[in-house]
Amino acid sequence: MSVKYIPVQWNRSKWGYDAVLLLGVGLFLWIFIHIAPGLLNHERPINPPIRNARAYGACAFVMLTIILCIGPLARLDRRFLPLLYNRRHFGVMTAAVALSHAYFVLGWYFSAYQGATRWETVLFANTSYGQALGFPFESLGIFALICLLILAATSHDFWLKFLTPPVWKAIHFLIYPAYAALVGHVALGAFQARGNETLAVIFTGGALLVVGLHIWAALRERTRATPATDWVAMGPASDIPEGRAKIALLPSGDRVAVFRHEGQLSAISNACAHQNGPLGEGRILDCLVTCPWHGFQYDVRTGQSPAPFTEKVPTYRLKLEGDAVFVDPDPNPPGTPVDPVPAPAGTPAQEAPA
Amino acid sequence: MTATAIIALAQGYCVIGVIVALIFLTVGMDRIDEDARGAYAFRPLLIPAILLIWPLVLWRWLREETGAASWQGRHSPPRAAHGVAAALMAVIVVITLATGFTIRQTWPADRAPQLLVAPDGGSEASQ
Repeated sequence: MSVKYIPVQWNRSKWGYDAVLLLGVGLFLWIFIHIAPGLLNHERPINPPIRNARAYGACAFVMLTIILCIGPLARLDRRFLPLLYNRRHFGVMTAAVALSHAYFVLGWYFSAYQGATRWETVLFANTSYGQALGFPFESLGIFALICLLILAATSHDFWLKFLTPPVWKAIHFLIYPAYAALVGHVALGAFQARGNETLAVIFTGGALLVVGLHIWAALRERTRATPATDWVAMGPASDIPEGRAKIALLPSGDRVAVFRHEGQLSAISNACAHQNGPLGEGRILDCLVTCPWHGFQYDVRTGQSPAPFTEKVPTYRLKLEGDAVFVDPDPNPPGTPVDPVPAPAGTPAQEAPA
Repeated sequence: MTATAIIALAQGYCVIGVIVALIFLTVGMDRIDEDARGAYAFRPLLIPAILLIWPLVLWRWLREETGAASWQGRHSPPRAAHGVAAALMAVIVVITLATGFTIRQTWPADRAPQLLVAPDGGSEASQ
């Protein structure tokens, strides 16, 4: 299944998603700049560059906070999955907003000083790295901005294929140090300005929400994860609806999707060969599971795309003990046929509403 | 001096990135990715990333040219590390918030402003 690269893969849902996103950003900036000067301590006279820097900075923080909430929310409740699928557009826009913040800051707070360029001034204006109070919080912001730019710049499909999913995923772990640095940037910077309590509440609440949701989702996933044994228990076969899959976390950290198709069970990797999309969230159409991200298809019995396409994903062996399904955690090479296991007689679970 | 050196280093890094981008986008990409052949509109979008991570681009390009990549690696994203990264972030965020609250000081703006008079005018007067 070969798909020529195009600049952006638009579809109707992405248009809608981006429209809502743009509207939200515009609304946030408009409220910040024009509607709530009292709430945000703007009653003292400030000039437009400072106001714009604050507005874009606050917007970038809120956007990154929302992005980091989407992942755990989607793991806790499937209804948040549509937000997860389009998260890359959210990230690119967040980087653009953060870059705008840096532009306004550079243009005002660090205007050229004694012959030095603005870029140099921002580096030497404050070098008190040995203290918390008065720490050069700008450096934390620069680090976070560089991380966001790398994440946004590598968001195109090409990078995931070229870098390979493991390398791409490892790079995109930068979102975590970026957020930690951003929290430090605000906590040691704008947060120290007393009298700006509205922003302080939003900042503290947002950061704690991110922490809380990640802990909650991790704890729930940990209780579902199975210990490293020869075969991993997947639960009763009756839990798997006809035409759909049940996804499980393996001790290796990978996810396996066990499908029921025409009363038989088959297991393949949950990660699509195209972009590691969640195959287990797709449904089986014409004997093939269709990736919900870009429509790549695989035969669940072989892990192979239908001819003439050549994509393959690893398959897994299954066994039944009564109604309980067990999966071999060692994957077969991509495209290895595995005989389906007939599911025990009984009524499969009803498909959950989309 | 240090700031000047850092900026010069960053500029040099970006100049190399431009050279790598030119070669990779015109020659290298077509050699290693069939999906890129005949597709040109998306290539300018890749320039910022090449400027930022060109050493990684060169390393991956070499791996593709020599066929050193393994199928297991492509299908094993490091998801197990996800929890560790998120936990580390959570700990750092909590410590940072606590530090921010601890050092937060009462700002003079909390007090009513006072108008100071010139020294020869005698005493200080409230506004």
